Amino acid sequence: MPAALLMASEAGFTVNGPLVVASFDLFGITWNLTESVIVQWIVMLILLVVMIVLTHKMEVIPKTKRQVMAEWIVTLVQGMVDTTMGEKYKKYTTYIGALLCFILINNLMSLLGLRNPTADISVTGAMAIITFILTQYNRAKTGRVKGYFHSFIEPMPFMLPFNIIGEIANPVSQALRLFGNMVAGMVIGGLIYFALGNFAILIPAVTSLYFDIFSAVIQAYIFTTLTMAYISGAECE
Amino acid sequence: MDEMKILANAIVLGASALGAGTAMIAGLGPGIGEGICASKAVEAIGRQPEASGAVTRTMIIGDALAETTGLYSLVIALLLLYANPLFGSLTSALEKFGG
Repeated sequence: MPAALLMASEAGFTVNGPLVVASFDLFGITWNLTESVIVQWIVMLILLVVMIVLTHKMEVIPKTKRQVMAEWIVTLVQGMVDTTMGEKYKKYTTYIGALLCFILINNLMSLLGLRNPTADISVTGAMAIITFILTQYNRAKTGRVKGYFHSFIEPMPFMLPFNIIGEIANPVSQALRLFGNMVAGMVIGGLIYFALGNFAILIPAVTSLYFDIFSAVIQAYIFTTLTMAYISGAECE
Repeated sequence: MDEMKILANAIVLGASALGAGTAMIAGLGPGIGEGICASKAVEAIGRQPEASGAVTRTMIIGDALAETTGLYSLVIALLLLYANPLFGSLTSALEKFGG
């Protein structure tokens, strides 16, 4: 491990995890306050300010541009939930909307020169675990105890191990998809800047357009769409 | 003994670099899969332009699922390059060996 790090730093290009800003001991566990947490606080602050500004002094008939914008966002999320999950799951609209906005702004943070919080497996893993819990909750709620356990031996009892593996693979692949895409963008961007050295003009802008903007928007959309598909797909008949 | 340690480290480093490169061959699969996915989506939109919204949505989700195997290999390659777990077992093996 030290040898590998030494080699990489001699070459001049390294990929590091998020910086640990502070760490403190509580209940016998060391809690690390990392760069990802700080950047996520900034994201929350941005979202809070934008939401307050957009929904300030709302009227029944929208007169201001910002109210039209707020209504457009809400209609967009409602349409997504309606087409993917159906009428029954209307109460998930708030969670899906919050998730979409939060991941989108998180993914776009690299434009400000900060490290993407979503390029940290802990962050994406936490979001995938929330999806997993909601999936299990919906399965248990619609199928009760019998339906919940019966869904694991469908269509045949010998399918039990495959069903369990499939259930665990969902959050793992979901977390790794967002993490992998963001880290790949970060590494490739860094490599291009490193390779071009002092002549880093124009070419990084083109690749950044794909990796920092297109990929970020698409991955936020995919993460929320898969969350909706997993939750509504867990329903028992 | 130091020479042996350096040799052992060099072998693990070289093998890890080769392994990282070999792991990324898995990028072929998602590439071909997403290409087929996109070509079928174009055909579908050409036949039924009014369903382009639903087709695009399904295509993007299908692409994301097809990409998963490629991302697994990317994670393995990154692990081998930047957080190599093999050096830990090498150190313990050398200690056991009496190094």
